[in-house]
Amino acid sequence: MTAIVVGASSGLGRALAVELARSGKPLLLIASDARDLDALAGDLRLRFKGEVASLAMDLAASADPGAHILARLTDMSPPTALLLAVGMSRSDDDGTLGAGAIGQLLAINLHAPIAIAHALLPALLEAKGTIVGFGSIAGARGRSRNIVYAAAKRGLETFFESLRHRHPPSSLRVQFYRLGFLRSNLTFGLKLPLPIAEPEDVAGKVVAQLQQGSFDRYEPRWWGMIATVVRSLPWFAFRRMKD
Amino acid sequence: MSMRRGFALAETDLRSFDRRESAHCHVQKPDRYRLIEALPDDVQRISRGSGVSYIGASFADGCVVQDLSAFDRLLDFDAQSGLLTVEAGARIGDVVRFALAHGWLLPVAPGHPRASVGGCIAADVHGKNPARDGTFRQHVEAIELFDPSSGWLHLDRNHNAERFSACFAGFGIPGLIAQATLRLVPASAGYSLRSVAVASLVEAGEVLLAHAGAPLLYGWHDGRANRFGRGVVRFGLESKEPMTRRSRLAADLPATIKPWPWCAWNRTGIAAMNRLIGHRYGPGQVHVAIESAMFPLNDARAYYAGFGAEGFVEAQWLLPHARYADFVGSLEGEVARQRPRISLIASKLFDGQAQGFGFDGKGIALAIQLPQPKARTQAAFIASLTELALLHGGRPNLIKDSSLQADAAQRGIADFAACRERLRIFDPQGLQGSMLTRRLGL
Repeated sequence: MTAIVVGASSGLGRALAVELARSGKPLLLIASDARDLDALAGDLRLRFKGEVASLAMDLAASADPGAHILARLTDMSPPTALLLAVGMSRSDDDGTLGAGAIGQLLAINLHAPIAIAHALLPALLEAKGTIVGFGSIAGARGRSRNIVYAAAKRGLETFFESLRHRHPPSSLRVQFYRLGFLRSNLTFGLKLPLPIAEPEDVAGKVVAQLQQGSFDRYEPRWWGMIATVVRSLPWFAFRRMKD
Repeated sequence: MSMRRGFALAETDLRSFDRRESAHCHVQKPDRYRLIEALPDDVQRISRGSGVSYIGASFADGCVVQDLSAFDRLLDFDAQSGLLTVEAGARIGDVVRFALAHGWLLPVAPGHPRASVGGCIAADVHGKNPARDGTFRQHVEAIELFDPSSGWLHLDRNHNAERFSACFAGFGIPGLIAQATLRLVPASAGYSLRSVAVASLVEAGEVLLAHAGAPLLYGWHDGRANRFGRGVVRFGLESKEPMTRRSRLAADLPATIKPWPWCAWNRTGIAAMNRLIGHRYGPGQVHVAIESAMFPLNDARAYYAGFGAEGFVEAQWLLPHARYADFVGSLEGEVARQRPRISLIASKLFDGQAQGFGFDGKGIALAIQLPQPKARTQAAFIASLTELALLHGGRPNLIKDSSLQADAAQRGIADFAACRERLRIFDPQGLQGSMLTRRLGL
């Protein structure tokens, strides 16, 4: 019954938590700062009267984040949905990062989601549940910005493809969303060349689709056309694209 | 400013609700507590809730505006004691609705339902009957505050009591208010709202005094020279009967209202509006939901849009009882002489004690709204009104009046310099600043 939201303290993760609480699901919220989690959990309990637990954990510093989550789940109902809304990007991810920063980006964007998914897979399979991952349009094609971030997101995409290949939807629904520009603290104030999606709108669609089989898709859907165009550009033209 | 510390800054133009003050600002929109802390310690800043202050209380050029709209959560509620802890960006309309749904009421709420709790504290707002319920400070038990140099502080009447007190009408100077615990009171089923016609502002004062114990008590008055002061005093009594019919609740007034391309409040428009007010709120009695009684501005969208792009000014002065009738007489004479366009006058009764820069005391407050305040005749009247109010011992409401200048504020608040010193103790580097604090030299 329990839905787990990793990266619940802000942006899409927070919007997913609100949407899931609205639908009456017991929740386990995971993020790095207990203050954010306490505030969100308190709010959801008061507004929606549901069961909301939280776990503060630094995904970049945890070798086995899945084990912590399993331990936290012992007094909760079995997990049926795992939503990995975690992600981190840096404005200086342009090929100049040191090893520590690279490790942090890979840990949060790739290692932690995969490790958590592996740890929870048996429980999700037993419940015939849903696992949801979130990629980025940045992973459509390698560029001179968001270098490590895009590589990690492309790796995550491959991981979800493997999951989908291994598990039929009748035993595990594997859903992967490649997101375009999303309103967040980091996109706040940026002049972006294409429209920006509201986390609440995306969260509403994601929660509505939880029982709808396995898939990977762009969200909003029209980003698929943009990605197709970007991928089909000849190299000499793509190289000139800086924005 | 580097974005490497995990926050982004937007550059945008911000404008006060009365459209009189604006600035090109850098805005940070934190959505996690660590991002509140992420701003470098020496950066000038000011907190912003919903940005619905009439004046520029939450922005200034050269300051980073910390937009706390993401900190809008309800954190804890004790249904036995009525203590509700919320984040500072929580909108007062949401708080009131939550409280009412659980049988409780926040007695003091400003007219705009999108005002944030932090803003209500920073301005120490009053509600629908300050004589009975006091100002916002009477209903706050504790504050969690972030100070760039001291970090996170818990404030209440026993811990950091001076700083706790300074937060009310402190206009953000004591630090960033992040959370507050509010004390609610049991709610009645509804209000029986009665309107009494009055022929003058002096008569309005008598009616206000006669109903000082009512939970809702305020007057709306005509400001035209030939009908000066006529209007209604509305007072609400708690109804023990549950409402048999659910009245329609208007949607919350938006934080920003697109102005009409022209100013509708010329003499004809003002006459029509006063007729409408007289028709809608004429003498009689209606049974209303508490929520709709608390947020009458939800019905005033067209009224604010009608001020047009030039905006309006609201001058609000609290006159001591002993000088009130003299002031009203002088004001009426000035209106007859200058014939300004006054779109509305609102009256309220106060029975508290002035603290710091707060708008409180014993007397009757008149809020006078004027369109096109930069127009020569309007500006001249505002200057006369300010002088008259000061001559009669009036106390200005700093959070309402964008026409108020430092010299008038210093004359209207007897211990202005001492209040300023007490406030700036908590911000010795002068990091916290807004259009308001700069205009008034706070």
